[in-house]
Amino acid sequence: MLRSLVAKLLWALFTIWAVVTLTFFVFNVLPEDPARVIAGPQARPADVARIREQLGLDRPITTRYRLYLEQMFADRVGQSAAIGVTVGTGGKAPPPSRVSLGPISLDLGTSYLLRKPVVDVLGRALPPTLLVGILALAIQVAVGTAAGVIAAHRRHTVFDWGTVALTLVGISAPTFLTGLLLQHVFAYELRVFPLGGYSPEASWAVRAHEAFLPAVTLGLFGAAYYARLVRDEMIVLLKADFIRTARAKGQRDFVILYRHALRNALVPLVTVLGLNMGVLVGGAIVTEKIFRWPGIGYYTVSALQERDGPIIIGVVLLFSTVVVLSNLLVDVSYAALDPRVRRR
Amino acid sequence: MRSIHEKTERALLLLVALCALLACRANVTGPIGERRDVQPQRGGVLRTAFFTNVRTLDAATAFDTASAALEGLIYDTLVSYDDAGKIVPLLAESVDVSADGKRFTFTLRKGVRFQDGSELTARDVKRSLERALHADTPCPVASFYDRIAGYDEYRKGKAAELSGVKLAGRYTVEIALSDTDATFLHVMALPIAAPVCPGAGKTWDAEFGISPCGAGPFRVTRFEHGRVVELRRHDGYWQKGKPYLDGVEWQLGMPAFTQRFEFESGGFDYMREFSDADSLLYRTHPAWKGHGAWASSMTTAGLFMNTQRPPFDNRHLRRAVSYALRAEHIAAIRQGHVWPHRKVVPGAIIESTPGYPGQRHDPKQALAEMKAAGYPYDPSTGEGGYPEEIEYVALLESFGQQAAEIYQQQLARIGIRIRLQLVSWPTFLTRTGRRGEVAMGTSGWHADYPHATNFFEPILTTKAISDENSQNLSFFSNRELDELVRRARRTPDDAEVRRLIREAETIVAREAPWVTSYEYRYFELWHPYLHGYRPHPVLSQHVRDVWLDLEARRDDRRARATRPCFRLVPGTRDACRPATRSALAAVGGR
Repeated sequence: MLRSLVAKLLWALFTIWAVVTLTFFVFNVLPEDPARVIAGPQARPADVARIREQLGLDRPITTRYRLYLEQMFADRVGQSAAIGVTVGTGGKAPPPSRVSLGPISLDLGTSYLLRKPVVDVLGRALPPTLLVGILALAIQVAVGTAAGVIAAHRRHTVFDWGTVALTLVGISAPTFLTGLLLQHVFAYELRVFPLGGYSPEASWAVRAHEAFLPAVTLGLFGAAYYARLVRDEMIVLLKADFIRTARAKGQRDFVILYRHALRNALVPLVTVLGLNMGVLVGGAIVTEKIFRWPGIGYYTVSALQERDGPIIIGVVLLFSTVVVLSNLLVDVSYAALDPRVRRR
Repeated sequence: MRSIHEKTERALLLLVALCALLACRANVTGPIGERRDVQPQRGGVLRTAFFTNVRTLDAATAFDTASAALEGLIYDTLVSYDDAGKIVPLLAESVDVSADGKRFTFTLRKGVRFQDGSELTARDVKRSLERALHADTPCPVASFYDRIAGYDEYRKGKAAELSGVKLAGRYTVEIALSDTDATFLHVMALPIAAPVCPGAGKTWDAEFGISPCGAGPFRVTRFEHGRVVELRRHDGYWQKGKPYLDGVEWQLGMPAFTQRFEFESGGFDYMREFSDADSLLYRTHPAWKGHGAWASSMTTAGLFMNTQRPPFDNRHLRRAVSYALRAEHIAAIRQGHVWPHRKVVPGAIIESTPGYPGQRHDPKQALAEMKAAGYPYDPSTGEGGYPEEIEYVALLESFGQQAAEIYQQQLARIGIRIRLQLVSWPTFLTRTGRRGEVAMGTSGWHADYPHATNFFEPILTTKAISDENSQNLSFFSNRELDELVRRARRTPDDAEVRRLIREAETIVAREAPWVTSYEYRYFELWHPYLHGYRPHPVLSQHVRDVWLDLEARRDDRRARATRPCFRLVPGTRDACRPATRSALAAVGGR
């Protein structure tokens, strides 16, 4: 078990490195000029060339990659001129901002556009993303699982048909439609929730209040998906021999459903949940735009639109780490859910 | 079972219909009360929003429409524009120009204070210019100032100071140019040249863009990327009694539909970023009549053709395209916002008068040009025409894409088939600016400053051509045009500029490297309690001198708070106040 875990951890590290390296090279070989985007359409070619030079984009790609890695791991203040971090700051650049993960300390460079350390930008965007993500996840799992279990238990009833139909609507409706609808009805017409925005200085209650509509927008889509998944899984399980045995032994419905059937149905749910974590962290782009939620998705979109390389690479590093780690967690949780995995 | 299924379906349909009814009812709320005749008064915070984000508010590096509106509140420049769009002194008391037009002497007003309390002197003017044009400053338009003597050496880091900028006293600064330049005062009116507080230092620093400091009427108290810029009145502002507002709160990155919700619920006092549907709704709503106005954007657009590569190295083919396009069809897509326009310079700079040279729609002439180009086309049989499809590059999900789809149909009528290549903004910039890469595509130009030469020099002259990042997208080179623009930039005589530009327009109409088909306008709307606002001919969203009728605004807020309002969490922003009787009466038009 331990050997397998260590192997998975090493594989996870390799995956993260490979994804980041691939992103670096893909971004840097694109036939587009970030300096041109940063300078804007009115900038004259001489000004674009000057900005390219300041950002270090005139250097060969291999040099940039080497300097990027050096800067990422070199814990030396003021020596991180790899991709224009201190170039062009007149010697007054803020100290490189680093993120520490135990013994590892990383400097992800400076955003071309915002001229702020990437770690700072992502560090500010992460709390609102996590707030909405966790709320949305709770809604997804709670609503989806409950609806799926009840629909499977009361199969061929109005509730079952209603759940199937509503989940179809939930899966099919794009988040921009759901988001706009919720915003119009609950924020504009009824004024129960704010139209959008996030107050980092406010209390948790106020922030949760602000996060509610974005979380429901995201949560409805996932809940519909989980409801279908749990319902289908439960329908198969409720016909299984071990359930029939439990019934024959006189177990109550509640125990059969939640202790025997649902526990088995959780394995595929947890698998999907692990994969879904990355989507929740980075996939809330449309929702964040509608509700002006300053999360990772918001910055990702503008970074992609304006070719802000350091931010893009930082986001990819963050996403890949979240996805890889949550999958690692899923693998570990299999052992907790399924005793057969523990014995392997 | 079937019956249950049908009932469920009916119930669901009813639910969806109810939601749709609640969500989609077109309910434009009218303005509350009439506009009262009130004198300028102090107080109140103006609230509005941008769809876009603002990266920085550093005068030296910010150069886009959104940040320009905010910079107009934070910084004062030596010269600016009056209500008619003419250049007038602002921080400068007077400006003297030498007879040869190469030396500008700015005499500063005395007693002008920066927002940090320090006094503005000539030294600050020199320091601010040198800071903006420093070798390490990522100024996107530094080359606008390349005629200042010593610019090249200083920008390349070979000189310690900008030799062309000299101090001639505590309040006098002289700027020497290497060549006569009639546009120099325009570039001095840009925020790039605005004096910044001494704390900004001599070199650029990223942090200054977050907490900027200038000599303008408002100081920044809060700037959060993607969220908000909050400004408060600069109490030591040199214009006594101004500004009238206590502050301005400008939300960032807010979608147009959310802006409308905020405007309708009284959260915003002014707005201009409407969806097409909302714009039409407000413009035609009788209750809002007289509360909005059109603002020029000083932008013209159309398509370009690459004159250095086939097939548009053939002048007749370019002329055929020019005659084939019908601008009225483009304008019909976004009625009001887009106007048919067939010359390079927008009407806001040189108005279009009958007989003014420009391009025109003439299908017969277009077919004659096709014949002259060697590709005769018979519209009745569809035979002939240019044999190959031509790639047309347009920006994805933009108005340029919609216009390109119309061009596609119009050009098909003269036997030219174009294939749309829809690309992202970075790809568009890179591909269209590369020599020999693109045959044709969307073109457009927004004035850097309101001088007619700015619509030729950066985009249609030989010196604007480069192998990469060329701004002359048609790679058009014409010595006669170059000379006309050069002379127009040197002469201070407006009538002479107009005459020279008229000749330049004639050349473009004849050679057709660009085909201009429309110009763009914005619709702006404000509540009746906002006074003193009128779209400025040059400065975008120029709200620095407006004032609020605070009593009328209070009534407005109360009246708008009559809808049900549930405060779930104490301290949240929604104000759930009861409506007063007078306010309810004022809502008559709702």
